[in-house]
Amino acid sequence: MIEWIARGLRTGIVTTRYPKRPEHPPAGFRGRVDILEADHGMPHLEATCPTGAIHVNEDGRVSLDQGRCILCGLCVAADPVRFAFAHGYETATRRRASLIAGEPGADALEDLRATLGERSRTLRRSIHIRHVDAGSDGGEEWEIQALNNPYYDMQRLGFFFTLSPRHADILLVTGAVTPAMRTPLLRAWETMPEPKAVVAAGTDACSGGLSAAVETSAGGVDAVLPVDVYVPGSPPSPIALLHGLLLATGVLTREAAA
Amino acid sequence: MSAERLRLVTDPVELLEPQLSAAVEDSPDGERRLRLPLSRIDAAVEALALRGGQLAALFPVTAPEPSLLAAVAFQGDLVALRAPLDGAETYPSLSRVTPAALLPERELHDRWRLTAVGHPDLLQAVDPDPDRFDRRIVGEQTFVIPYGPIRSGVFESIQYVIETGGEDVLALHVRPFFKHRRLEQRFTGLGFDHAVQVAERVAAIAGVAHATAFCQAVERALGVEPTRRAQRWRVVHAELERIANHLDVAVKLAEDAALAVGVARFGILKEQIQRLRAQLCGSRFGRGVLVPGGLAAPPLLEPRVALAVLDGFERQLRRDRRLLLGTASFTDRLVGSGALDRETVEAYAGIGPVARACGIAADARFERPYGAYVRVGGRIATVDEGDAMGRLRVRFHEIRESLHIIRQAFERLDKYGPELRSDLPDARGAAFGWAEAPMGELIYWVEVAAGLVRTVRISSPSLRNWPLFAASFRGDVLTDFSFIEHSFGLTPAGADR
Repeated sequence: MIEWIARGLRTGIVTTRYPKRPEHPPAGFRGRVDILEADHGMPHLEATCPTGAIHVNEDGRVSLDQGRCILCGLCVAADPVRFAFAHGYETATRRRASLIAGEPGADALEDLRATLGERSRTLRRSIHIRHVDAGSDGGEEWEIQALNNPYYDMQRLGFFFTLSPRHADILLVTGAVTPAMRTPLLRAWETMPEPKAVVAAGTDACSGGLSAAVETSAGGVDAVLPVDVYVPGSPPSPIALLHGLLLATGVLTREAAA
Repeated sequence: MSAERLRLVTDPVELLEPQLSAAVEDSPDGERRLRLPLSRIDAAVEALALRGGQLAALFPVTAPEPSLLAAVAFQGDLVALRAPLDGAETYPSLSRVTPAALLPERELHDRWRLTAVGHPDLLQAVDPDPDRFDRRIVGEQTFVIPYGPIRSGVFESIQYVIETGGEDVLALHVRPFFKHRRLEQRFTGLGFDHAVQVAERVAAIAGVAHATAFCQAVERALGVEPTRRAQRWRVVHAELERIANHLDVAVKLAEDAALAVGVARFGILKEQIQRLRAQLCGSRFGRGVLVPGGLAAPPLLEPRVALAVLDGFERQLRRDRRLLLGTASFTDRLVGSGALDRETVEAYAGIGPVARACGIAADARFERPYGAYVRVGGRIATVDEGDAMGRLRVRFHEIRESLHIIRQAFERLDKYGPELRSDLPDARGAAFGWAEAPMGELIYWVEVAAGLVRTVRISSPSLRNWPLFAASFRGDVLTDFSFIEHSFGLTPAGADR
């Protein structure tokens, strides 16, 4: 056991300082697709996207629903002048509509990060999270588990996983919701005490992703439960998840005050 | 090989042709195709099983006509036994021959209304009701614990129904398919660029293996071979995925043993690999790299830089592994837990690290070499214990082998031309594709026509190995459960495709 302690001490601190300091992804990281040039789009652009996230209106204006984007990069490869991977991890938002890039009203990220940093400092109480897999591909679970590793260490921000939904403040849901998972998911949510927040983690949870076209799929968590925070990504990176969880704490504190 | 030995190798075609009125059909290398009457499919699988053949897949296909297809891994080849359905709704159950057919036959019944005559219980398997399970009591004074589908911790959804007298696990029933997403039918009608996105998302933690098996099936169906450079990069991504998976198992086992620094250390190692994967291709899961015909984009990192990262990683891993395997409070929980014997694993056609921990040298990379594995060498890591400890030791051996394979793959990279993607003809075809996923051999059947995917069927190692998890509880108690489960390293998403 002494050896383990020594090994741990020798490792030093590897933990990110997010959200106080921004965390930068490596070059070319696929976290979010942005639109660089929204005008003069041809209708055939829509066909490059496997999930129908790209829309071109009759005036040729291009929009991209990041809640449906699975980050495959086919649009970026087809039209790099118009589409590009954003250099950042954060993707979460409170409103489903604000995930549509190319339209006005997208959250100003820099301000947001400052508020989140402030909030995590003032947040004295701990937030308990219950995760439910409602039909994910398993990738979201790896990224959520990674929040406990020393690089992300979500406990420093007061987040803990809880086994019982009765102790949970946040329901972290992955997957597009399959028929057999609908009842267990609803039951977990009903068991949770108020105030509570639902975070849809991953593109499948936000919109159904590729599963949306399958008839048995609910096509996203918000078809079953009221979703407070959307964290798109395929899967969302651990920093994107942290960002989403911090946004959800805002929902909780507001509800508690009301 | 002497002439005498050659004669001992039984040719399945010779074997089955006269007996079962089977007809040989053309096929790409590595697979043999036989057409036979539906009524003889069980006899054909039995004839191969008696000579060591293992049922690897059972599903309905549509090309060249609607048929039931049983794939048997036999002497290094995949033997595809195709029985035209001609509108039939029943077929003789293969469960008489091998228990490996039990779960696939229940799925066939639920999804395609194909009924296996002679199957012991065709209970609904797909989309189960979490509250209603078939209670099969093994004795007096036992009770049943339904564990799942929402489980204790951040895990994928699956239900285990545990029969216990209080401490001993007397019987375990595995109920997958809570998150069955019908992704096989999602492939139909997609172009190759889009279809490979679906393959990557069947099981994210084995996404590179899924993409590899899918791409190879398309390439084999169309008779295209990707360039050497593309094949070597595929191997690099596949081996990094294997390392990440094996480290994930180590993290989870250390967590089960409440070994805090162990969890942190192996978590760090796994994160290093995930970050390296993100640096190589922009995705922490190796997504968007593979595409039928080769690679979608050139790598974002120089091999030299990746190798330096891996050298540092290996030095750290060596220390942590030694420490972990030398911690008695950890190893005591694994030694003897969830022990399987070779006969059981063979009966269930078990694969992957589970089989290799029982001394079975089954590994698609070397049995049926594909892509760059034809040229890149490695050893199949096997041990004989068959328990949770054996499975962990196999995983550590495999990490070492994977690093060795990656170094070999990088070695000759600059000797090959820069071409990464080959053109695919708009032809019609159907073929198997396979890859050794971190959990075991993954098999895809893909039918293509005019540049579009028509039918995809997947036989996943998670689905194939799950019955073995149930079979591994012999004298184990409830507190061993999570150790045994995590030592298998399976993913529900792979089974619930």
